[in-house]
Amino acid sequence: MRAVKAVFKKQFKSSVQNPEMLIQFLIFPFMAFMMTRFVGTDAMMDDILYFAPYIGQDFFDAMAANMPNLVTMMAGMFAGMALIPAVAGIIAEDKEKTSLRFLIMAGVKPSAYLVGVGSVILFVSALTSLAFAFVGEFRGMDFAIFMGAMLSGVTASIVLGAAIGIISKGQQSATALAMPIAMVLGFGPMMAQFNDNVARALNIFYSQQINIIADYITIGTDTPLWQSFAIMWANILVLAILFAIVYAKKGLTTS
Amino acid sequence: MISASMKNVSKSFGANHVLKDVSFETHNGEIFGMLGPSGAGKTTIINILTKQLEVDSGEAYTSVGSNEIGLMLEHDGLFNRLSCLDNLIVFEDIYGIPRSRTLEALEKVGLTDAKKTVVEKLSKGMRQRLVLARAVLHAPKVLFLDEPTSALDPMTARGIHELIRELRDAGSTVFLTTHNMEEATHLCDRVVLLHKGTIIEQGAPEEICQRHNSVKTMMDLESVFVKLTGGGLE
Repeated sequence: MRAVKAVFKKQFKSSVQNPEMLIQFLIFPFMAFMMTRFVGTDAMMDDILYFAPYIGQDFFDAMAANMPNLVTMMAGMFAGMALIPAVAGIIAEDKEKTSLRFLIMAGVKPSAYLVGVGSVILFVSALTSLAFAFVGEFRGMDFAIFMGAMLSGVTASIVLGAAIGIISKGQQSATALAMPIAMVLGFGPMMAQFNDNVARALNIFYSQQINIIADYITIGTDTPLWQSFAIMWANILVLAILFAIVYAKKGLTTS
Repeated sequence: MISASMKNVSKSFGANHVLKDVSFETHNGEIFGMLGPSGAGKTTIINILTKQLEVDSGEAYTSVGSNEIGLMLEHDGLFNRLSCLDNLIVFEDIYGIPRSRTLEALEKVGLTDAKKTVVEKLSKGMRQRLVLARAVLHAPKVLFLDEPTSALDPMTARGIHELIRELRDAGSTVFLTTHNMEEATHLCDRVVLLHKGTIIEQGAPEEICQRHNSVKTMMDLESVFVKLTGGGLE
């Protein structure tokens, strides 16, 4: 427990001092706030409909009918996109700069290190999720469902990011590996808003389920909540197994 | 009492035979020097003795557990975004030692005034001193120092030498690698000369010099510099 606390404190201080990382936790709720307060979906649709005569009215009618909630869209993008490179980058950096070797030599177990780092990301992501909930004005049960969905998505991203961090030799390779995966998980749900085939294909991913749960809260769709949460926790289970395989094979070695 | 030893140890990385039949032992409360040029296998020996590497054959032994070992390696492993003090606090928390000990370690290496300075803004010499403070924070019984004064100015190197002697006098075993013969001659109680993974000579510096009809000490540039400046670590 002492080691977890030490790693948590170290990582929290380090993350706060890291503007590149900090901005990822701030930019998504900030964008959601700006777009909700100063742009809004109606204004966006007015601008987009300007192009309707050139592309086809039907497309834009469908788009208008399915215009996503900007807050939940940004929240889904945050959970899917921002965290995987962040966690992978932290672990890869500590490996590359041999800081991790000194921690382990001082008696920190690799599991304690991973729990410490993961806890910081979970903690900061919970604050970011609260910011989304505030901007989206979610109250009562809606708030609880939204936070449950966000924290489940965040957990999945942390586990996936940790697995990438373990197999990466350094920060550069971690970013190269994490970014394409994060882009699919982050942008996929947004594309799914406009295409049913994409939506069906992405249904197995946790980031898409965050959007489905968000639609349940904001639009009132009839998708059973338990199904979305079950898919998300199945994702976490699969990713945890993947993590365990990677960890057993590669370990958290630095040499 | 033996604090670390190797018996007929060999180690290869692919076709590269880094250590060949290496045997030596270090005793409690001595400064033990491992001398040799770059690539001689010095760092590999430290990595084996600190259990970061397995031997291919032979036996390697360290009398203490990893939490009683102090480490100063080629790559410093400092947390660049944290201050000097915060870097040490990470290990203070892990070892469960009081803050006074951390501040004392910073004072010993002359970094009290820089305790709030972020590590990425430190000079090479200051980083080395901080790494040494981290290595001695928990009063380790065995201290492994890999090229502790390489690329340092003479004044800083002299300060680190003094600290190493203090640690030896307090009962710690100091195992250091260097390619600086003068440093080893002045500092070490016993040395091993390593060449291409093989030990070619070992013993007290005086004995080795006598054996080879050489003179043990002479006024070196470092001593002249320190004598002229009267400098210590700071």
